[in-house]
Amino acid sequence: MSNLEPSRVVSKVEKERENDLRTQRFKSVALKLLFYGFLVLIWHLFANLETLKHFLFPTPLEVLVTLWNGISDKSFVYAIYASMKRLLIGYLISLIIGLPLGLCLGRIKWMDETIGSLSLGLQALPSICWLPLAILWFGLNEIAIQFVIIMGSILSITLTVRDGVISISPILLKAAQVLGASKIKLYTHVLVPASLPYILTGARLGWTFAWRSLMAAELLYVSAGLGSILTMGRELHDMAMVISAMLIIIGIGLFFDKLIFGYLEHFIAVRWGTK
Amino acid sequence: MPKIDLINVNKIFLGKTGVVHALNNVNLTIEDGEFLCIVGPSGCGKSTFLNVVAGLTNVDDGEVLIDDMPIKGPGTDRVLIFQEPALFPWLNVIQNVAFGLRMAGLLKEESYERARALLRIVKLSKFEKSWIHELSGGMKQRVALARALALDPNVLLMDEPFAALDAQTRDMLHEELEILWLETGKTIIFVTHNVREAVRLGSRVILMTARDGKIKREYKIDLPRPRHIEDNELIDIARIIRDDLKEEVLKVSEEVI
Repeated sequence: MSNLEPSRVVSKVEKERENDLRTQRFKSVALKLLFYGFLVLIWHLFANLETLKHFLFPTPLEVLVTLWNGISDKSFVYAIYASMKRLLIGYLISLIIGLPLGLCLGRIKWMDETIGSLSLGLQALPSICWLPLAILWFGLNEIAIQFVIIMGSILSITLTVRDGVISISPILLKAAQVLGASKIKLYTHVLVPASLPYILTGARLGWTFAWRSLMAAELLYVSAGLGSILTMGRELHDMAMVISAMLIIIGIGLFFDKLIFGYLEHFIAVRWGTK
Repeated sequence: MPKIDLINVNKIFLGKTGVVHALNNVNLTIEDGEFLCIVGPSGCGKSTFLNVVAGLTNVDDGEVLIDDMPIKGPGTDRVLIFQEPALFPWLNVIQNVAFGLRMAGLLKEESYERARALLRIVKLSKFEKSWIHELSGGMKQRVALARALALDPNVLLMDEPFAALDAQTRDMLHEELEILWLETGKTIIFVTHNVREAVRLGSRVILMTARDGKIKREYKIDLPRPRHIEDNELIDIARIIRDDLKEEVLKVSEEVI
């Protein structure tokens, strides 16, 4: 039998729990480090095999050097800037149009039956298929690329927000009506916050689609941007440059998807009680 | 003085399983300050009754009057409380309670002040900054009650508000509701399938028929207050009503067989 006072038992348990958590976290990080270290090692050994054409298989170190050079001579920085600028403009336009449109589709039946069904149909088309049309309509310029980004992201934003509005528990809407919410305030004070988890999912999906559309468009149609670094790397047979660009693209994608959207989604899931 | 009048009210739902006459030529007068309880088997039209008075559902025929004026849509003079608390999860407790006041155009400070007073009444002052998911079922229903009371409606419509709560919490909320009614003199229409709860609370209990949406019988409850759900007299009255209710429930089950 233990003869500790209650408060000391609590602090003892707390300490143990904390230690357990710390060990767990440490193990998970260590495992990841080990795995990626192993991957890089294999890559390194593989790249040094005599049988492979070296220019097709650079070592990790060479890729790192290329990456560093690209950043220090600013060529990668400009490419990132060009791509991000396009992405942000196209994505913001998609959000500004897609969000209210999705809210309306979820509430107004005739709009859902017309614009809603059109959106659903157009979503079957991969956004890069809009590029030929966009180039013929707008010419080989920024507008064409923006168009492809918008077509790629706006539909998923609109349709996810629409689903969010439809899935709002009817009792919340009734409660708001009974408490005197007018038609306009129902949108701003109930529909938007109630469907916020969906709005965020829509924003995240829209971001992913915008990012992919942009990369596809930049690959097909040479211009300053990350996609053009990939193309340039291919043309110069510079695999280190190709892989560097790929790493940058992965990095940016992860940063927005996991860090920014991941954090926001977690925050809202906790607040809305869905987690 | 009559507060709410239903004159030859009819409401019909066309469902997949056939026609449901939820309200069938219902004539009923609810006096100002009355505590009316409506009991009946499930699917008998009790909730439809409340939705009609709340203005959320239109009637197919007949008239529904409040203070001699026809009801046209929801109004904050009569607030409906649901079985689920239906609180807004993106707002904390005090923001939920102040919601109706904010909708009515009150400033934040003013509405919070009134919300705080109501949180004191429902004994949740300590939780004004809590999020909804942090509350227990009974606390949530208290917040819903405070949110409805914030608008100071003349009529409270309650649709099985305590059905999902445990017996102890329910007892406590019965007490609080009784005190509130005695102190404010509001008109309350309380729908439940629990006969004892109806006798515990109501000054009049109405029994609705199964399926055909009529008022089968009404019972005046003249027991002294404060009442307790285990009072002998209360149990005796409840037994009489329950026997009548059983007839209705059997009707439904015979139909099914």
